[in-house]
Amino acid sequence: MTRTSSPQSAPPPTDPGRRRWMAALGAAPALAAAAGSARADTVKTKAHIVIAGSGLGGIAVANRLSKRLDGARITIVDAKEVHNYQPGYTLVATGVWPIDKVSDRNADFHPHGIEWVKEMVAEFAPDTNTVVTTGGRKIAYDFLIVATGVHLDYAQIEGMDLKAIGSNGLGSVYPNAEAALATWNAMDTFRAKGGAAVMTLPATPLKCAGAPLKMTFMLRDRLHQAGTLKDSRVTFHSALSNVFGVKAVNDNVLQRWKDLGIGVEYTQKLVGVDIGARKAVFANPEGERSTVSYDYLHVVPPMRAPDAVKNSPLAWKDGPFAAGGWLEVDKGTLQHRRYPNVFGLGDINGTPRGKTAATVKKSVPIVADNLVQVIAGRSPAETFDGYTSCPMIVREGSAMLIEFDYEGRLTPSLPMIEPLQESYFAWLMKVRMLKPAYQAVLKGRV
Amino acid sequence: MYEIWLVLNILWEIALGIWPLLAAAALAWVVLMILAARRPGACWRSAWRPAIVVAALVAVAAFLLVPGGTRSSLANLSYWVDWANLAAIALGFGAAAGAFVLPLRVLTGSRRTG
Repeated sequence: MTRTSSPQSAPPPTDPGRRRWMAALGAAPALAAAAGSARADTVKTKAHIVIAGSGLGGIAVANRLSKRLDGARITIVDAKEVHNYQPGYTLVATGVWPIDKVSDRNADFHPHGIEWVKEMVAEFAPDTNTVVTTGGRKIAYDFLIVATGVHLDYAQIEGMDLKAIGSNGLGSVYPNAEAALATWNAMDTFRAKGGAAVMTLPATPLKCAGAPLKMTFMLRDRLHQAGTLKDSRVTFHSALSNVFGVKAVNDNVLQRWKDLGIGVEYTQKLVGVDIGARKAVFANPEGERSTVSYDYLHVVPPMRAPDAVKNSPLAWKDGPFAAGGWLEVDKGTLQHRRYPNVFGLGDINGTPRGKTAATVKKSVPIVADNLVQVIAGRSPAETFDGYTSCPMIVREGSAMLIEFDYEGRLTPSLPMIEPLQESYFAWLMKVRMLKPAYQAVLKGRV
Repeated sequence: MYEIWLVLNILWEIALGIWPLLAAAALAWVVLMILAARRPGACWRSAWRPAIVVAALVAVAAFLLVPGGTRSSLANLSYWVDWANLAAIALGFGAAAGAFVLPLRVLTGSRRTG
């Protein structure tokens, strides 16, 4: 997942002495890093590269480009001081992790020598090669990388109030770390007595499309642990005709839910909620509405591109990605289809399949390489296959390590891994190894 | 090749998170080894056996306890990849314990004579 327009919180303090130690230690694997990027030749250039967004994609590509480009000027535009490890939100929201494990400081991961404009991009003007910030500052660029993340469109759900998450049985893992913790508080209260749990899925492209499923698996497990499962009913309301875009995974999850007693309702889109009365309103494709009472509701918001992208010439103008205003990039090179000096990274890309941090891990080196090629006057040579990975938690202590590509083919990184096999190893990866891997991506090493 | 590089980076980042502990342990081990090596009549051969026994006991304990320490349980080990990874982790703990027992045993054991 990449960054979102979530509320800000104070960055965690870092002791300067500790930072110096960390910097010294961080420099140690430089030799090994050089070996790992042996193909990465350096290009001399005076180009100005603007990176919109400082989530995983924005910072990781800044780190890679700062190593690859000699003399380039790199500017990151993003107001956010806190770096949220968003793949950890589901662990916070289900009581596995404390909240402090998912927040770091963006500044600790920026490469040396870049400029950081602490504002958001308000307007993209690719015809004049400029971006305009929320403070009205015009920034000209030679090359642009759009890594803004998504806009969580809670406004499409009538009556929804982000401040109410955590109370009245209302949960939503997506907005920020605080909402994830509040979601756990609501789940913890709910599981003490049990009751009717309503889990939701919108019809739009999602970041981390596995998160709604993980929340469902874990809620059921928490009820089981609390001994209140027999007094409970868990129902998943999907706005689509499935629960996951990859058929093999979809079928596997549905079979598991059938065995676990989790019900599924299809083509039911959450359109409203009465938080005080604990009633959710769903609409089917014909527009017919139905009201469902709940004791616990997990809201997954519709997602779209932020307004700055959606309302710009950079967005798709027709096709399946036009409605959400997603970035019009070639799905292989991740280069903009009409503005060749623009590339896209992460959730903002109008390409098939939901994105996760693993998508960014695989696509950042490709975008960095292709941009270097373009700066050097050559054509982009690297092609992204749509790789995405999702450690699908099936209960506390067990997960499936699912990896797939644009075509929906299961593509395990190691041949011995069974993608649909529930496994302790996959769980261990999720809770202990993926954050270190994420940080290595952030630093531009893997 | 990429997967090996990724695993090395994961281990490196984990080590960065606990480097004071690792540095202290490494320093303590080096000091113990120097003291043991400089001990007159140090008997290394007889220290190997207790070191291996302790390493094996720690490895078995780690095998049984690590799943619980990661909010899982042995019941969640489903196929050979799970067992192999847990065994590798347990052997790592065992090897670390054995590495400390070896110089300690040399320092506390009887001296070689003749």
